[in-house]
Amino acid sequence: MSKDPNSEIPKCKQDFPIEQKEATHVSRREFAKFLTLLSGALAVGNTAIVVKSLAFPEKPLEGEHAICMESEVGDGDSFMFEIEGSKTIPYLLINLGNGEWRAFEQKCTHLSCAVKYRHDLGQIECPCHKGYFNPRTGDVIQGPPPRPLPQLEVVIREGQVFVKAQQT
Amino acid sequence: MSDFRQSQNEAHPNKTNTLMTGIIFLLILFVTIQIWFLFGALNNALQENLNFAITTALGSLVFAFASFWLLKYLPEPIKRKMKK
Ligand code: FES
Repeated sequence: MSKDPNSEIPKCKQDFPIEQKEATHVSRREFAKFLTLLSGALAVGNTAIVVKSLAFPEKPLEGEHAICMESEVGDGDSFMFEIEGSKTIPYLLINLGNGEWRAFEQKCTHLSCAVKYRHDLGQIECPCHKGYFNPRTGDVIQGPPPRPLPQLEVVIREGQVFVKAQQT
Repeated sequence: MSDFRQSQNEAHPNKTNTLMTGIIFLLILFVTIQIWFLFGALNNALQENLNFAITTALGSLVFAFASFWLLKYLPEPIKRKMKK
């Protein structure tokens, strides 16, 4: 070894006691330990989902909610409304004509874009990735959404439109 | 004096390497499956599919324990004789 001027000074008293090569080097041991940590974190995350859904189950909508007057929404029109619960959820009220009414959650089941009713197509359309839903049942007709739209039951009394949770 | 470990290391210099690679591959496999589980559970929890969430959580925990247990077999770094 050549003569190093630092070699006489003890390591802890040198200006740069740690060499960059040492500091930036990730050994395979460290990498393996990191992977293990990641594995533990994923397990914790997965458990958290279970704990959350056990501890805070989502409550179904309670009671009837008045939305609007029947005369405000013409045949083939739709009406947006929100219901405050544990979360505020936007809904879409649809008048299919012939006295048929439907109410769906307005969030697409794919990536939560707002869906809209297209009377010319007779389908509910999600403009984001061209997902289409059946406006009677909420089922997916086409496109990426994995699940049907959640539906509410519509009741019409004395010219006024109410919604309530669907009985199953 | 040379001990058993040292002569083994000299006779099979690649052993540590192979072990290390095997363990890292296994760990990556575990983590990949866990990510898959987590993704599925997130998707299903939205639909209140509790059974799926519980199953994947258990599976994920098993994999996590398996990973920790694998660390036991991490080979010690071969100590070079630095000091004279
Ligand atoms: S968000 Fe509706 S189709 Fe992607």
